[in-house]
Amino acid sequence: MLPLVLRGFMQRKVRVVLTAIAIALGVALMAGTYILTDTINKSFASIFSVANRGNDVVISPTQNLGRETRSQTSPITDQMLAKVRATPGVSEAAGSIFTPGTFLDVHGKRLTNGGAPAFVASESPKRFESFKPVQGHLPLGPDEVAIDEQTAKRHTLKLGQQMIVAGSAPAKRYTIVGITRFGGGESFGGAGAAILTPTEAQRVVGLPGHFDQIEVAAESNPAHPVSANELRGRIRAALPATVDVRTGAQQAAKDTSDLESNLGFLRTFLLVFAYVALVVGAFIIFNTFSITVAQRTREFGLLRTLGASRRQIMQSVVYEGLLLGVVGAVLGLLGGLVLAPALNELFKAFGAELPHNGTVVETRTIVVSLLVGTVVTLLAGLPPALRATRVPPLAAMREGVEIPPRVLSARGLIVRLAIVLVIAVLLAALIGGSVAVSVVFAALWVGRLSARYRRGARPRRYRVVPALARGIGALVSWRGITGQLARENSIRQPGRTIITAAALTVGLALVAFVAVLADGTKATINQAVSRSFAGNLIVENSQSGNNEQGIPAVVAPALRRVPGVAGVAPIAFTEGRLKGSSSNVRITAIEPSTFGQVYRVEWKKGSNATLLGLGKDGTILTKSYADSKHLKVGQTISVLTPTDKHIALTVRGIASDNARLLGDLTITLPLAREAFGQRDDALNFVAYSQGASNAQVQPAVNRLLAASFPQTRSRTAAQFKQDQASQINTLLALIYVLLALSVIVSLFGIVNTLILSIYERTRELGMLRAIGTSRRQIRQMIRYESVITALIGGVFGLVIGVVGALLVTTLALSDSGYVQSIPVGTLAILLVVAALAGLLAAQLPARRAARLDMLQALASE
Amino acid sequence: MNTATGAPDPQTIVQAADLSRRYGEGEAAVDALAGVSVGFPGGRFAAIMGPSGSGKSTLMHILAGLDRPTSGVVRVGGVDLTDLSDQDLTQLRRDRIGFIFQTFNLLPVLDARENILLPLSIAGKKPDGEWFDLLIDTVGIRDRLSHRPAEMSGGQQQRVAVARALISRPTVVFADEPSGNLDSKASNDVLELLRHAVDDFGQTVVMVTHDAHAASFADRLLVLADGRIVHDGDAVTSEQALDLMKSVG
Ligand SMILES: Nc1ncnc2c1ncn2[C@@H]1O[C@H](COP(=O)(O)OP(=O)(O)OP(=O)(O)O)[C@@H](O)[C@H]1O
Ligand SMILES: [Mg+2]
Repeated sequence: MLPLVLRGFMQRKVRVVLTAIAIALGVALMAGTYILTDTINKSFASIFSVANRGNDVVISPTQNLGRETRSQTSPITDQMLAKVRATPGVSEAAGSIFTPGTFLDVHGKRLTNGGAPAFVASESPKRFESFKPVQGHLPLGPDEVAIDEQTAKRHTLKLGQQMIVAGSAPAKRYTIVGITRFGGGESFGGAGAAILTPTEAQRVVGLPGHFDQIEVAAESNPAHPVSANELRGRIRAALPATVDVRTGAQQAAKDTSDLESNLGFLRTFLLVFAYVALVVGAFIIFNTFSITVAQRTREFGLLRTLGASRRQIMQSVVYEGLLLGVVGAVLGLLGGLVLAPALNELFKAFGAELPHNGTVVETRTIVVSLLVGTVVTLLAGLPPALRATRVPPLAAMREGVEIPPRVLSARGLIVRLAIVLVIAVLLAALIGGSVAVSVVFAALWVGRLSARYRRGARPRRYRVVPALARGIGALVSWRGITGQLARENSIRQPGRTIITAAALTVGLALVAFVAVLADGTKATINQAVSRSFAGNLIVENSQSGNNEQGIPAVVAPALRRVPGVAGVAPIAFTEGRLKGSSSNVRITAIEPSTFGQVYRVEWKKGSNATLLGLGKDGTILTKSYADSKHLKVGQTISVLTPTDKHIALTVRGIASDNARLLGDLTITLPLAREAFGQRDDALNFVAYSQGASNAQVQPAVNRLLAASFPQTRSRTAAQFKQDQASQINTLLALIYVLLALSVIVSLFGIVNTLILSIYERTRELGMLRAIGTSRRQIRQMIRYESVITALIGGVFGLVIGVVGALLVTTLALSDSGYVQSIPVGTLAILLVVAALAGLLAAQLPARRAARLDMLQALASE
Repeated sequence: MNTATGAPDPQTIVQAADLSRRYGEGEAAVDALAGVSVGFPGGRFAAIMGPSGSGKSTLMHILAGLDRPTSGVVRVGGVDLTDLSDQDLTQLRRDRIGFIFQTFNLLPVLDARENILLPLSIAGKKPDGEWFDLLIDTVGIRDRLSHRPAEMSGGQQQRVAVARALISRPTVVFADEPSGNLDSKASNDVLELLRHAVDDFGQTVVMVTHDAHAASFADRLLVLADGRIVHDGDAVTSEQALDLMKSVG
């Protein structure tokens, strides 16, 4: 059978390629994701290993709350450094700073790229130096700075120019004396670094006498050799448990693994879209195989009369699936090589630049891509293959022999169950995809999604299709006979039409799903801000959403001195861990005396007076958190802080908060500073005095911010809402781009189905031409048919997406105050896009149909 | 059920006893065959004629095990087909039966040689080189072996189909209107080939035809009408066959 299959394969190259592309695109995204993330990982690993090269031992703060959480106050002090230096076997030790900060040009414009982070770093002794100057030198005095090469290039900074560095202290001007390169690599994850002298760096980050890390070199005296491990043990014994002591190699490995876990999210995020594309591809493979099996009934019948067994017929179709799968998977893998850099460009365009030196293709990438591509194709082709086995030999003799309904044997039942299982798994992937997409939104603002998640119903009623086709067809039938014929053709094989359309449905449903979710999220933010925010201005880091960096604590007192400002409420976010728990709680820190003036708390237990009585041992819980942990007012909980302290907190009040400003726990800012090491604020809410107008006060506030804190900005409630919306739109655009791939895959499905049905109707088309139908009319007919199919897919997709999103948000988010909203305009545009896509997909098939040689068409049997 | 013609006879390759075949149910039921008993001895060439709809194709399909009778028994080479599984029938088709179709039914993706050898490759058997050579010379398509069906005339395609039917040396070859789609010259060639296969290779051939001229190539003529055998006799000329047809017609 195999040679026969191969032969057929070679003669249907166009169809094979079109079908293979359906699976190849999904595989390409998958391979591309692996290649990109592996490349990034590898690049970082080499950066880290270079960065840690001179270090025999590294001392860094213990992260007792997991690798994502770090105290804002490093426990590493000058005294610790002195102890390390006194340890036998240490030849040299130096403290260093590497903390997020902001750099700007002299006009106050940021010198970083999009959302990429920027770090304030300190100059180190030569042997520990991670930054090698490529021009000039490292800073020698408190007014000098060296800047990383990438930032310098991007903003054409030259030696001798001035720039501003802002951290926890008010901004200050420095002269650029050097341009450096990190760890020998081109880019440190797109991040910028401004290198200051150690003392100056400590002052800027607001922690004189503290370091982020201590680097140690061992004695190199050959008379008393000391291994890095041995030295590590000695230093470990000399230092408290608030720090970790690692060898240079261990530190590099840890840095890399931290990064990998961060990138894991990116990988999963991208893979979800690859799976969606693969599911869509599987639909197309299934459909194409179903059609070709139907078309080859006579051929299968002939083979049966010539002595072929059912098994051989099955094999011939399965081999074809296997071959196609391999072709698709290989094409996909090659596509992945092209896609990986393209994905990187995509992220760059959305403000996240990551280092990628070379192209890393791991064996895992090759194996997984080839395997997944082949297996998905094989499985999708299995039901049609089984159907082919039921073609009776008589089909070779008579026209129109029906394939008899299957009689289920035990084996058949097992096969069937297996197929159902596979489909279930594919659907689970699809649903998982939507979950992941919605989680992204949740992560953005809405917060954690509850596990109760259900996906909308998937209508599979064939009857609906003819009805829909007629409805949509009515739109085109005013175009006369071609429109009418197109309509009839699309309902001739409703099963075929719906599966072709279903491929498009999957992609569009997800697009509609995220569009509705995003619109609701915007509406929710708008409503929550209007309802809860009682102040006039919000001061935040001008890199919106950058809570890690936030704003210096000294901003609030400065703001209070601005004329027209009545009160300023600083707010900070931190984390802690409840005794016995393995996950962190979100903690909001507020100033009790001011918070009540600028924020309307929806109290369940307690009142604004509760805020004033909060003290250093009290906390307020959100209702959802209190409910989930069965906590009541008066109970005491023990919380582990990022600085490794255990504190006892008594529940003083319970509030619900749709705006999600309040974390699981709310505590006072003094407690956060004392026990959590929290130094910066995330937001300052500003309230104006009676009669003060925004036109006067905001400019005054802005002048202050620009002069002393150029990394911050002020927003009115309306501006704040706009920022949030545009942030959501950015993410939405990224998701659209990634989903577009699935839509493209489904277009190939439409092309395929059209080509196959044109082939099937060769005679009919010949007849139409013979009785006077023009080429143009034939083309039109095919185009209409395609548009009808695409619109069916579009309508189903939009309905499923909208219903699914409404269902999910009703089930999972209704108690968190989510406001549902349907973006009618966007949905209408989607439908138009679907129709245009259908038109595009029809181009090649329409031309083929019109080119048919009339005589040959009539002669063809 | 041992009727006169239904008794097993070692010389009889294909034996049918009291076959009936009903399509549909109730009012709309059609009896395509209504009690047909017939035996085909080895090494003979039989022609089955009859008006359109008389049940010729139905009879042939049942004799070849492609369709099952509503009642009655078919034996091919002594094997009762009634209770054969799909697998056994497949094996039977591989070993015992060859087919020639009105519409040639060659696989368009294969060339002539591959089409001829197809039954053997399906069965996983090695071709017999001498037999193959003899066959292609007999059907006269040696110079067309590497051509695809689309590059051959109808007559050439049907000659390839004859070679394909004979390649596995089947016990019996069934041909349903083998000359139906051919002009008189090509049709003569194909019929002579069948005659030749019977005379020189001892092949058993059962042929359904509309064409009195085609029937004149056979050793025996059966005439069906309304699902019954109305004539069973020795070789006839075309004129005699025509007259017979007119009489049932
Ligand atoms: N699948 C079927 N369903 C219903 N009736 C059928 C079917 N196949 C054949 N028949 C009927 O059985 C009868 C015999 O058909 P058959 O094809 O055997 O005739 P035939 O002698 O081969 O005719 P022709 O010379 O036109 O090929 C006809 O009346 C036909 O309509
Ligand atoms: Mg017939």
